[in-house]
Amino acid sequence: MALGTLLGALAAASAAGDEDVDVRALARVAAPPLGLPAVPVPADNPLTAAKVALGRKLFFDRRLSHNRTMSCAMCHIPEQGFTNNEVATPVGVRGRSLPRNAPTTYNVAYQRSMFHDARDTSLENQIFGPLLSPDEMANPSVGFLLETIAGAPDYAGLFEAAFGGPVDVIKLGQALASYQRTVLSGNSPFDRWHFGGESDAVPDAARRGYALFTGKAGCVACHALGERDALFTDHGLHNTGIGYVLVAGRAERKDAVKVELMPGVVVPMKLKRGSGGGARREKDLGRMGITDDPRDLYAFKTPSLRNVALTAPYMHDGSLRTLADVVRFYRDGGTPNPALDPLIRPLDLDDDEVAALVAFLESLTGDDVDELTADARSVAVGN
Amino acid sequence: MQNVLSKARTTIGALILSLVGHGAPVVADETCQSPYMTPIKGQEEFVYVWTLGMDGVGDESDKLVTIDVRPDSETYGKVISTYSVGGQHEAHHSGLSDDRRTLWAGTLDDSQLYLFDIATDPAKPRLKKHITDFVEASGGATGPHTVFALPGRVLITATSNNRDHGGRSALVEYTNDGDYVATYWIPTPDNMQGATGKEFADGYNYDVRVLPRKNIMLTSSWTGWSNYMRDSNEVLQDAEAMKRWGNSMTIWNLHTRQPLKVLQVPGAPLEVRWALGEDHNYAFTHASLTSKLWLIYQDDKGEWQAKDVLTVGDPENPTFPGSIVITNDDRYLWWQGIADGTTRLIDVSDPFHPKEIYKKKIGAQINMGSSSWDGSRIYFTSSALSKWDRDDEQAEQFLRAYTWDGKELKQSFSVDFVAEGLGRAHQMRFGAHSLYSDVQTAQR
Repeated sequence: MALGTLLGALAAASAAGDEDVDVRALARVAAPPLGLPAVPVPADNPLTAAKVALGRKLFFDRRLSHNRTMSCAMCHIPEQGFTNNEVATPVGVRGRSLPRNAPTTYNVAYQRSMFHDARDTSLENQIFGPLLSPDEMANPSVGFLLETIAGAPDYAGLFEAAFGGPVDVIKLGQALASYQRTVLSGNSPFDRWHFGGESDAVPDAARRGYALFTGKAGCVACHALGERDALFTDHGLHNTGIGYVLVAGRAERKDAVKVELMPGVVVPMKLKRGSGGGARREKDLGRMGITDDPRDLYAFKTPSLRNVALTAPYMHDGSLRTLADVVRFYRDGGTPNPALDPLIRPLDLDDDEVAALVAFLESLTGDDVDELTADARSVAVGN
Repeated sequence: MQNVLSKARTTIGALILSLVGHGAPVVADETCQSPYMTPIKGQEEFVYVWTLGMDGVGDESDKLVTIDVRPDSETYGKVISTYSVGGQHEAHHSGLSDDRRTLWAGTLDDSQLYLFDIATDPAKPRLKKHITDFVEASGGATGPHTVFALPGRVLITATSNNRDHGGRSALVEYTNDGDYVATYWIPTPDNMQGATGKEFADGYNYDVRVLPRKNIMLTSSWTGWSNYMRDSNEVLQDAEAMKRWGNSMTIWNLHTRQPLKVLQVPGAPLEVRWALGEDHNYAFTHASLTSKLWLIYQDDKGEWQAKDVLTVGDPENPTFPGSIVITNDDRYLWWQGIADGTTRLIDVSDPFHPKEIYKKKIGAQINMGSSSWDGSRIYFTSSALSKWDRDDEQAEQFLRAYTWDGKELKQSFSVDFVAEGLGRAHQMRFGAHSLYSDVQTAQR
């Protein structure tokens, strides 16, 4: 999107929400924070303040689920890194168990594909996955969803003002994408040090971690950096063995597991035979589930590492709780399996080096996290 | 407030006089209810069971089930009425208004409140109001649980919120007519609202009970929607989720609804049961995860304190208590274990040194227990939560009625909630024609 067009949109900012918030959101896209590249905006969905405000309102509206309990934000919680820190895998409508961790929406504007298995192609399209999935927001049909929005008095005139016409599938996807595209977070301590030349912006440990990250640990092979910006992803998919862990674990699983009932109190507990009405955690083939190509077995998308300190738990299934756990997982060479990505190999890292890598990862937290949360909470939750 | 306290004293005093003056109990009412509530004169006649819809069972919908418990009735021990509300909403707890004319039934999933008229025909409750805007009205509290009667009002504990489906929640007050009054959020470390105990505050909520003569209200803590709506296998294996259980109880000023002190009570303390004796200034709760009985009491300096006084059953194999029932003489407490389907009688006559003295297996799983005031009849139901109930070949859903003679529980009748096409039996409340002398009641 041309800068001039965006600035024009800024001048014309008017929407259902807080105009200043919308103006600042557009400004973030027009001039992304240090460390982030220009934001790709589809030619057929130019950003406007009205669209951003409408998309934000939709994002936080629980009426967009069948029984009015789930909004997008119930799994992408602003105060929890736009994911859910309190569960390994999120919980869908009526408590349905979901198999994969909720990916953060920080900087989702730069994603070239959507979902952990890269099955969708754009922000505009992907929203219909959760909106219509019976395990997530469970709208029984597109028509039901559109009628819900069209019939809500507080949406009267908003789609018309933003798009020149009433709500339909295209406009709904475009509005939600417009808001999410503004959730940009950069200008982290790492950015100010690496791209901004502030020599004391990060601690020594983080600098050592960066050297390992780009050196003998080889993390950068997948979590790529550019010369002037960095998204810390190659946009590719890799088999690290995490998917295989689940399969192996199920094969070995017994009737009882050890459960920490409260800090320090661990007891063996018997599991129920079935799912108790929740969705069964099925074997997750990763990308192969989309392509049927055996080469894609257990392959999942490389996530960005920006704000990674805020988005625990980690990996596509939320199975690792801390950044140190993640670094140690890679240090140990992932989980061996027949289709393990050759980039994953045991690393010769001592505990100090693990700590340095964690310090580096912790330096990737943007300086506008509070602003993005305030932006998100500028709209009332729809009930 | 003076009227409130005065009425409470009058009510409690009347109950005590009834018991003492006649030597033997002449009133029958369930224990553990609000002291502001109108008592039943005579035996309870109906048990209202707020029942969860169950896939493959009947119309699969949540419903209020009425069971006839009049001993001389031809339909004794039978289902005589059902009122389906349509759909599955995670029906859970219910409660009565102070005049017992209305039974409020809440849903944990989508935060509905169904107000049933149980006065016009106590044998056949009818829906008179459906509140759909609990979340909007309360300012974001979700998952209504306990409904506790105050004079002309009900106080509802919410269990989650509309921002993250976690455990931070609130108390929500309504008029008896179903009009919203106010919301009182549970203290959190970043918003203690003047209370002490910041290091223990988690903002979680579950049950509420009051001690009017001390102007004290006590709340407990559970977990949020993301845990209680989720399959138990998933929760138990999710280390992050297992960190999200309540570890606190909060002492409040009943009159002002201001929190005063947060107590550390780890392991999801659930039901609050104040002792009933006029100088018994203590309450019990059961930590569901650790199977511990906790005592909340005033120390020598008048400070409210919490102390775990008994571990029930094998600590390595927790009973996961779903409810406790205190007897009207404060001597005993019934403890219902979800995991082992067993009720246990605990001698709490010395509240600091309780002892288990009796136990009986009721079924594969039990959750709720409700006792008549005189303690001679006790009813048990099976369901905990739709996604926590047993699902093996021994799974069953029931209400079972027992008599207690001081030595042995003997079953009076059992209603199979699956065979009857009803669903998962959860919370019970008692009803009777005798409560409504001003109403031309229907057939007795």
